[in-house]
Amino acid sequence: MPDVDVLVVGAGPAGAVAAWHAKQAAPGLDVVLLERDRAIGAPVRCAEGVGDAGLREFANPDGADWVSRRITDVIFQAPDDTEVVLANCGLGWVLDRTRFDAFLAAQAAAEGATVLVGAEATAMARNGDDRWHVRVKQRGVDEVYRARVVIGADGVETMVGRWAGLDTRVPSRDMESCAQYVLQGIDFNPNAIYLQFSNAIAPGGYAWIFPKAVGVANVGLGLVSLKADGRNARQYLDSWIARRFPTGARTGYTVGGVIVHTTINKTYAAGVLVAGDAAHMINPLSGGGITNAMKAGRLAGRVAAEAICAGDTSERRLAAYHQAWMELLGEDHLKYYRIKHALENVDDESFNNLARTVNKIAAEKRTIGRVFAHALIKHPQLIPVAARFFV
Amino acid sequence: MRRVTPDTIAVVDLAVCDRCGLCLPLCPPEAIHLELNVLTVDRAACTGCEKCVGPCPVGALAMVAYA
Repeated sequence: MPDVDVLVVGAGPAGAVAAWHAKQAAPGLDVVLLERDRAIGAPVRCAEGVGDAGLREFANPDGADWVSRRITDVIFQAPDDTEVVLANCGLGWVLDRTRFDAFLAAQAAAEGATVLVGAEATAMARNGDDRWHVRVKQRGVDEVYRARVVIGADGVETMVGRWAGLDTRVPSRDMESCAQYVLQGIDFNPNAIYLQFSNAIAPGGYAWIFPKAVGVANVGLGLVSLKADGRNARQYLDSWIARRFPTGARTGYTVGGVIVHTTINKTYAAGVLVAGDAAHMINPLSGGGITNAMKAGRLAGRVAAEAICAGDTSERRLAAYHQAWMELLGEDHLKYYRIKHALENVDDESFNNLARTVNKIAAEKRTIGRVFAHALIKHPQLIPVAARFFV
Repeated sequence: MRRVTPDTIAVVDLAVCDRCGLCLPLCPPEAIHLELNVLTVDRAACTGCEKCVGPCPVGALAMVAYA
């Protein structure tokens, strides 16, 4: 029975950074990072967009092989395809998650963490010895790991949280159903991400084009099924692509859920911390979760390491993680969540009008500040939409 | 607490399911499991609420008669 200090379940951005920072905070600890899939980073279930500042807290994207594309512009598209171009409005990146996630896991390994792929946690229980006993299946063989702290970074399924007795359920209205193709041979501005808002195209969410290279992009959408007309996300996406990119070659495909909720009420239990998508730490307005997950992973790794070094992994001690997260981003997400729900009442005609209003500002004067000033005057209920996308 | 047997319960079509896990946190009784790349609905726990059906991005979940 392997005895470890920190067992991290899930080697996405939250888990890899948690393992990395736990080991960095306390190099003497045994830290093990589990990945269920055969390769870290694959399959990609993500549009792969990330803001520059948050990313740089963890890794330098300049010249990195895990970057697909540097992004300088954002193009909002109204339901009637009217474009609002915000040129040079901030720097962002479209990643290659297959390489980026592996890069993060390699940082954890370089600090001395053990990384296991094809290793799935299938159950865990507390056995009265102040340790979690986690059953791990690897190549068909079950092994029980004893861990002082388990960090659940297991994504939307969030089984670690469930096993620890945390309420990780999501109301239907706060789940975005997403589908995405990698499209090749399509025409768009490769320096821009595109976001289209329309109840007919992606009710309760938006459709996106995130460039991977010239002529190649992640093209997808997320919707809230309660607002949909009975079709599923893939069917909505097929309709949108048939209209916008009828000749694009579909060379990749993914589906998944993005939880646009607020952080779960309790992200910790005795010997357990939950981070990233598993704790509903996605920005509920943008649906972005990569940097949030890394920031939560860093907090979780440090808090776990310090708790173990202090000989106290009690619920009370680990509550410090929840408080730190809420101060860092969790409180902001509560605000974004309220904005998102306020925007649900905006109809397609209002979005079309807003786009035309904003386009009256000369392109070279179209700073984010001026766009908001205009929006504020004409459509006060819409101001926050664009502002928060790169947060 | 005894469960009232529902008229219909959710089933998954594994030929369509993409194993994305979206439905797991939507299930109030936590009756859906994803283990070793296979999604299962626990028919003893499913309450027939249908909350998993509409959000599935590929339409892999459907309601069928319990019996």
